[in-house]
Amino acid sequence: MIEINDLQRIYHMGTVEVRALDGITLTIEKGEFLGIMGASGSGKTTLLHMVGLLDLPTSGRITIDGLDVLRLTDYEKTMFRLYKLGYVFQDYALVPDLTVMENVALPAMLRKDRSEEQVKKDSFSILQKIGLYDRRDHLPRELSGGQQQRVSIARAMVNKPDILFADEPCANLDSENSKMVLDLFHEINEEMKQTIIMVSHEDWHKDYFHRIVRLRDGKIASDEKNLSAG
Amino acid sequence: MGKKELKVAFLLALRSLQRGSRSSTILTVLIIGMCFTNMIFLPSMFSGIGQGITKQIVDYETSNVLVSPKTGEQYITDLGTTLDLINGMPGVQRASPQYSKGATFKYRQRVLGVSVRAISPSDEMEVSPVYTKMVAGSYLGEGDTGEIIIGKPLAGDATVRQEDEFEPSLGGVRVGDSITVEYGNGYTKDYRVKGIYYTGWSPVDSAAFVTWTDMEQVEGKTLDQADSITVKAKPGYSEQFIKNELLAYGVGENGKVQTMTDLLSKSIGKVLQSFAIINMVSLVVSVIITTVVLFIVITIKTLSSRKQIGILKAIGVDKEVIMHNYGFQVMILGVLGIILGIIITLLLAAYMFIHPIVTPEWSAYLYITPWDIVTNSVILFCAAVVAGYVPAYQVSREDIQSAMRA
Ligand SMILES: Nc1ncnc2c1ncn2[C@@H]1O[C@H](COP(=O)(O)OP(=O)(O)O)[C@@H](O)[C@H]1O
Ligand SMILES: [Mg+2]
Repeated sequence: MIEINDLQRIYHMGTVEVRALDGITLTIEKGEFLGIMGASGSGKTTLLHMVGLLDLPTSGRITIDGLDVLRLTDYEKTMFRLYKLGYVFQDYALVPDLTVMENVALPAMLRKDRSEEQVKKDSFSILQKIGLYDRRDHLPRELSGGQQQRVSIARAMVNKPDILFADEPCANLDSENSKMVLDLFHEINEEMKQTIIMVSHEDWHKDYFHRIVRLRDGKIASDEKNLSAG
Repeated sequence: MGKKELKVAFLLALRSLQRGSRSSTILTVLIIGMCFTNMIFLPSMFSGIGQGITKQIVDYETSNVLVSPKTGEQYITDLGTTLDLINGMPGVQRASPQYSKGATFKYRQRVLGVSVRAISPSDEMEVSPVYTKMVAGSYLGEGDTGEIIIGKPLAGDATVRQEDEFEPSLGGVRVGDSITVEYGNGYTKDYRVKGIYYTGWSPVDSAAFVTWTDMEQVEGKTLDQADSITVKAKPGYSEQFIKNELLAYGVGENGKVQTMTDLLSKSIGKVLQSFAIINMVSLVVSVIITTVVLFIVITIKTLSSRKQIGILKAIGVDKEVIMHNYGFQVMILGVLGIILGIIITLLLAAYMFIHPIVTPEWSAYLYITPWDIVTNSVILFCAAVVAGYVPAYQVSREDIQSAMRA
């Protein structure tokens, strides 16, 4: 469970103050598929980065499963991200010089609790799940955008994280590939009870989310369950 | 840093070099290789020249230990006793005395001032290799009188006109010819040329040798004095040991005792000093170029992958792994460059061994010891590592937000 309490993030641009997040309070349950929606500049990415421990808020509190994560040291945060969190970015962000297999295995290789065999087994099975096992020895640039994004999802999922973050993962994809990615998220969420927090500004994506939080000017504009999801 | 982190860092480094810009990798390795070659080439060339000169000086001038007249005196006195003393000492191969006298040589139309050196051939042959350098005729025999051997440059070449000569000569003396020698004391004598030698060491090549017996005739007395005594050590005995021994036995009473090294440090010490300065400059330049090139290469790599680095950190890759990734890249580049440099250097050394640059005073070949290769490799490698880790350290510390938005 994630508890966000009165989260603020203020950027200073010279003398101008930008309140990217202006008092966000939110609780996210385990297994939830949450959509964060809103216009461009409304603070979606900022919120995701705060909860994903990629940036520090100006004020407020975040606890994940009771742990006050903002109190962690830099190194502890890195380890928390490695062991507990997974990320999917808009532009896939794969390492261009590593093969599909190496990209997927990378986070698992760093884990002290994974043997080499285990890393291999996990990577193979996740590659099979996303349907790119046959392309495991290809370089990212040899794949289409949709395929690359699926690889990046595999990389995020290989360590079986507690929370999966995705920041506009379909923004660079056509609707067919977007649907494929969303279906994959849906499947992961259903089968593995995976908590997913996804940012999107495409209205039709909302059909996939269990719950939709809309931001406007760094504040929560609406927070509603989507009973028709799935 | 655990094993797993280092493994991941190494994998990232290896893949970046394998699959990144091939031409930049090759160019970097090439530059390091050239720097290595530059670092080692001049010093080992100088060292080769130095070795060559040292060998010539030992062979033709000083041998291992030189006894010369005491300051203010013209000759080493009590020669017979002194020689017996020295030759009886353990570790001494042979002591050979020399006695020089100025003379005027007359041959056909040519007149030339020459220094005539009197030697005892059997002693001299054990100390100096001149007898192996005969280009015509033969070396002096013990007790020869009226016979002389001269250097090839002094003998000259009949086909070269006098105005065109590089150094004055007698204009084409051949074995068997007769030369009139007028000594400084007025004594004049005709000598038959018994042999002509060529050593490549010009002080010897422009001189002439007669036997001790012959010189005693010239002086009209038994010669119990000498200009110098060159002492050759038996293998395994150090110069210093021989010198100490000579001094302990009182040879110092009759002459000044110096090792070859004592003499060298005076005569070519200055030359060696300027060599050392040039060597230091070439080393510093190589190190600077390597450092700057690698610094630029790694800086460009890190700056062009700032976003990439941000992403890696976001997914839980520790900054140490990022830093060592570039560290390993620079180490691999450094090692490849050094290997290339060693190959180039050895090829150059082999080439110069087969085709040495030969001049009368020295022949230039590369004198390279394994130690030179090891020290230069270590220096260059350390420079490379420093040059790589500085930008790697900086970029690995950038915060995720600014890196990802880059
Ligand atoms: N590093 C930054 N420096 C200054 N302003 C920023 C920075 N990051 C985001 N902002 C501002 O914060 C607001 C929210 O940005 P963001 O969270 O990226 O919005 P969204 O993802 O919803 O498009 C915007 O006005 C943006 O310009
Ligand atoms: Mg955004």
